[in-house]
Amino acid sequence: MELGRRIAESLEAATFERVAGVGLANAEANRPRIARSVLELAETPLGAGDAAIVVGAGPSLYRRRSLDRLREAGFAGTIVAADGALGACLRAGVVPHVVVSVDPHPERIVRWFGDPTLTAPRGDDYFRRQEMDPTHHGDELATNHALVELVNAYGPKIKVAAATSAAPAVVERCEQAGMDLYWWNPMYDDYDAPGSLSRRLWEMNGLPCLNGGGNVGTAAWVLTHAVLAKARIGLIGIDLGYAPGTPYEKTQYYPELVEILGDRHCEAFIHTTHPETGETWFSDPAYHWFREVFLEMARGAECRTVNCTEGGLLFGPGITTATLDSFLAEAAGGATHHG
Amino acid sequence: MPEFLKGNYKVNAKIEDKADTTDSTDEFEKKALSRLGGSICFVSKKSLMWQGDGEKDKAKTDGAGTKNS
Repeated sequence: MELGRRIAESLEAATFERVAGVGLANAEANRPRIARSVLELAETPLGAGDAAIVVGAGPSLYRRRSLDRLREAGFAGTIVAADGALGACLRAGVVPHVVVSVDPHPERIVRWFGDPTLTAPRGDDYFRRQEMDPTHHGDELATNHALVELVNAYGPKIKVAAATSAAPAVVERCEQAGMDLYWWNPMYDDYDAPGSLSRRLWEMNGLPCLNGGGNVGTAAWVLTHAVLAKARIGLIGIDLGYAPGTPYEKTQYYPELVEILGDRHCEAFIHTTHPETGETWFSDPAYHWFREVFLEMARGAECRTVNCTEGGLLFGPGITTATLDSFLAEAAGGATHHG
Repeated sequence: MPEFLKGNYKVNAKIEDKADTTDSTDEFEKKALSRLGGSICFVSKKSLMWQGDGEKDKAKTDGAGTKNS
């Protein structure tokens, strides 16, 4: 078995090791700020009809101009965005109804909301290297400043579906920007098992536990289906992989893979040709795991999941591949214009 | 390490038991893998959403998991 696939098999447990401790600590720190359950979002007007678009932060969002096309189509349904895609949405004139945040990283994630405390480029080169939002590759400070302004302007219109694991800096930033927060617990483990952390959290705060699927984009899909009960969910920017020609150094876990695998780090990347687009993308072990997880979750889901990303690696049973235009045309039958 | 032979000097080097080596290798791998993990957990074979005891019938059982998970 390829090295990358073998590593991917260990990532369910590895993710628990990575995030459970800090996630629980954040749940405790965020506790005084919890005023609303995410279940209240189901009772809140969020667009019309039973169709929704989930916006991930994958490279196809820019390659396919997905957000410009979404705006031009006047989609009236619900728009749920991963936090990494918030900047792209607002720059394209798309104001999501809900933005989802889960990552407990204490410093990084607030950048997706514009970090008012950023006065100089940080030593952490994550944003200069990541493939999700290329606007951060150039002038970081200017990009950040513009994002601060946008989020401050539109924040009051956007609801945040905040995992209790979310970084306190993000929570503070969202509140500062006038965003209402609706809370949920990540499902960390089997809630029926003795000593379950998920059960402990639920006992602590009474909030539902959502099975996060490893990353915020998948968590956004889970929320859209399980909480908002949307029957037709279109995905954009959910690539779960890297575009052809992306240098390995520009992938998210490159430094870690080199440290762990040395000269063999290239063997960790898995190249796959999409049967319908014909493009060959590649994933690292994490993205490969995310993909396997999404397919497992979508296989039995009652909603219809349509991947309108027009790129990437998410295809298989339970996922329909279609163009964004066809999904939007189908959704337009019977819905009014979304402002 | 069990002393099968009685010598007349002690070595300074620490003799690592194989079990110790396996434990430290596992530890290293665990630590290394955790740096590659996701930003939120996934629990295989469980439901998409769980709303606690007393509301088991409200658990969304589609997606991952069996009908009664």
